[in-house]
Amino acid sequence: MTGVPQRTRMSAPDALPRPDVLVPQPYELPVPTRFRLANGASGLAYDLPGQYVLSVRLSVPMPLRVEPRDLEGVATIMARTLDEGTARHTSVEFARLLERRGVAIGCGVGDSGLSVELDVAKHHLAYGLDLMHQCLAEPAFPAEEVARQVSTRLAEIEQERSVASHRAAAEFAATFYSPVGRSSRPVGGTAETVAAITRDAVVAFHAEHVAPAEATVVVAGDLAGLDVVAELDLSLGRWGTPDTYRSPGPWQVTPRADDRARIVVVDRPGSVQTELMIGAPGPDRRHPGGWAPYPLLGFLVGGSPTARIDAVLREDKGYTYGIRSTFRPRRRGGVFITAGSVRSEVTGDALRLLLDVLEHGREGFTQDEVDHAAQFLVLTAPSRYATADTIADEAASLSFDGLDTGFTSRNLVEIAGMDAERAGAAYREFIDGRWTVVLVGDAASFLADVQALGRGDVTVVPN
Amino acid sequence: MADIAYPIAERTLPNGLRVIVSQDRTVPSVTVNLWVKVGSRDEVPGRTGFAHLFEHLMFQGSANVASGEHFSALMGVGGRLNATTWFDRTNYFETVPKGALELALWLEADRQGRLLDALTQENLDNQRDVVKEEKRQRYDNAPYGHAMRDVYATLFPEGHPYHHPTIGSMEDLEAATLDDVHAFFATHYGPNNTVLTLVGDISPEDGFAAVEKYFGPLPPSAVARAEGSMPPLAPLTGPVRLERSEPVPNDRLYLAFRLPADATPEFHAVGLAMDAIGGLSSSRLVEHLVRQERLVTGLTAHPLGFAGGVSLGLISADISAGVDPADVERAICAELERFAETGPTDIEMESAVAETERAWLSALASHDDRADHISHYAALHDDTAYINTFLAQVRAVTVEEVRAAAARYLQPSSRAVVAYLMAPGPIADEELS
Repeated sequence: MTGVPQRTRMSAPDALPRPDVLVPQPYELPVPTRFRLANGASGLAYDLPGQYVLSVRLSVPMPLRVEPRDLEGVATIMARTLDEGTARHTSVEFARLLERRGVAIGCGVGDSGLSVELDVAKHHLAYGLDLMHQCLAEPAFPAEEVARQVSTRLAEIEQERSVASHRAAAEFAATFYSPVGRSSRPVGGTAETVAAITRDAVVAFHAEHVAPAEATVVVAGDLAGLDVVAELDLSLGRWGTPDTYRSPGPWQVTPRADDRARIVVVDRPGSVQTELMIGAPGPDRRHPGGWAPYPLLGFLVGGSPTARIDAVLREDKGYTYGIRSTFRPRRRGGVFITAGSVRSEVTGDALRLLLDVLEHGREGFTQDEVDHAAQFLVLTAPSRYATADTIADEAASLSFDGLDTGFTSRNLVEIAGMDAERAGAAYREFIDGRWTVVLVGDAASFLADVQALGRGDVTVVPN
Repeated sequence: MADIAYPIAERTLPNGLRVIVSQDRTVPSVTVNLWVKVGSRDEVPGRTGFAHLFEHLMFQGSANVASGEHFSALMGVGGRLNATTWFDRTNYFETVPKGALELALWLEADRQGRLLDALTQENLDNQRDVVKEEKRQRYDNAPYGHAMRDVYATLFPEGHPYHHPTIGSMEDLEAATLDDVHAFFATHYGPNNTVLTLVGDISPEDGFAAVEKYFGPLPPSAVARAEGSMPPLAPLTGPVRLERSEPVPNDRLYLAFRLPADATPEFHAVGLAMDAIGGLSSSRLVEHLVRQERLVTGLTAHPLGFAGGVSLGLISADISAGVDPADVERAICAELERFAETGPTDIEMESAVAETERAWLSALASHDDRADHISHYAALHDDTAYINTFLAQVRAVTVEEVRAAAARYLQPSSRAVVAYLMAPGPIADEELS
């Protein structure tokens, strides 16, 4: 380096011996207080001393198959318009009411249902809950706000199409799931269906599908001196079930495409990288063999720079900034996803190596590998679940599945005692060499290499 | 609301290492967070991207640690860890069960003090490839991926330390030799150019003793960077602009402004102004351009605080289909002019302060983030207790100070505009000249 005076480097003395690590005490996630509100909603309260911003999460289970086929995305538009005006306040007034006390409300829809999130400083809890109640019980869905959310979603669809990872996820869903199932299409709808959404459609959808009867509300944070149940009874507890409400009924297995085991290339000429998404069926949380092996397997195979995948593709080959694997449970069934990006010209070799690593797992894992992954997952839990929002998010996410954080604690115990044989068997149960592969990139620069791998049909589609 | 009062204890070791301990026994873990006072602003022409490449090399082994072992040794005992590079600094951090604190300190001390024993050409070549993929993933292969590079280059003059982005140029990285890497380490890495913060289940006495045990023997080997050495950079005196035609999904405008340095009363004031103008959901620009006129589908405004004499204020707007970006730019400029004359309303002030309060409390909720904030203000602003005093400083800002700050820093005539306009075709990767 220029401009630096010449100097003699001071050398460090030899290091002390590597210190031993003291084994930590066993850990359980905080245990909630359970209650039920007058309107039937279930409640969980987690007291986390020192967490001065409280996190409130409301989960309303709702399978997206209840959306009319020609209006898919209506649940998303409905959710995004909940806080854009109520019976008492215009959209602008409502935004101001929230922000004058630093109250953050977010509403969204995933494949399990509607989520409403409230983050609020402890001393403004009652104020925040009142506004959250207004969003749920008396949304006005002003026509101009619905129209604006439709425009915004249409712009977002184009933005998602332009981002390689989003584009890959959309093509993966379309390839992996049967076209008869809602899961094969975007949660937020397509341009055609979103453009058809009107205020009337939003109002009708809300009236039929949003109610407290099967909902769960979670409150997490420093609850000292607060009567959370009383606060909720005065707010969300007064949210009633409309006569028009229809229970979603039993959850169904998401049908997979018969021809899901194939390679699809989304052609983006000039792209300097290829986004890869590789998937196979996986378990849900109620899998008869237990859920516990799967977080561990995802981590062991592709959860860190030293996991099996990045040990080869990043640290040995330098093909990627990082590729991650994870088992994602859904209400019924699940999916094992591996995703990341590599530079265009090595796409063929990277795919070969990736499939090799993934399939090599069928031969099993060493007890050392399993122990290492188990230690990470179990011993990081206290700090991963240390804040109000992380506990609330975990509890809310599990509530869609009729579970709570006791499930997480029980899994940690099972993970801690995992033996390599069980882990290997759990992996083999799902990984059979039949993969759905999506590659988003410059087809001309790698198509021949990918075809030469002999891993099945290769289809090229436009971006 | 009540003021926050996280405990802060501080000690500087004889070798210059500044150590801060903030005890919090709610969770049986400890965060170790180091800020090394070297970032992309310290890079010289022809060697951009170096601070960041170097951050990668810090995971490739040191005298007593094998390549990749820093990750695996800590993850295997329940550690979560990473590192990042920015204009003003490079940070390294891990959160570990308290029984693994000494191992974390031993590993950190080994790489902070004894890296070069293990550095090889092979590691350098491999991590250079990884960094190139990071650049392709985050910048080259993403819509608007080079927008911030363009903003820095347009707002800050050629040769200014903030003119080039942290990722740097791949040509410069290609030219990097092992000798360069050795010189970089020798110049910037050492206890006398570093702040180390512990947050978690540990007393100040035990924390100081543990840090002293592993870091105390390291010599004060770095050329310590003096903060406050970069002169202030005044607002632009006339608008500048850069337009790019790219295959982006919608037209997007970035309006950038030179703001005062972070952690100053004027920076707090201009931050509140930006909230009121476009940062809040109830802000003027969101109300007019997003909700009423629907000229844009989304708009954000926020300050990015830097330590070296100047910060960056950024307004970005996603233009609605069929709308002329020039109309949006005119509307934003008109609102900036109005705000500079009249200042915020009481409700705007109340909202901006309340949102700042919640965001700050949330930012301090986890041990990891709290430690990072403590290190930040200790390293760059010599203010160890800043996390406890920031909100009082913000609440003390007056309506008139907000107006005056906007009038000085957020004038339309001081804007740098970067426009990304839709064009069909492959994503270009030309470098800004």
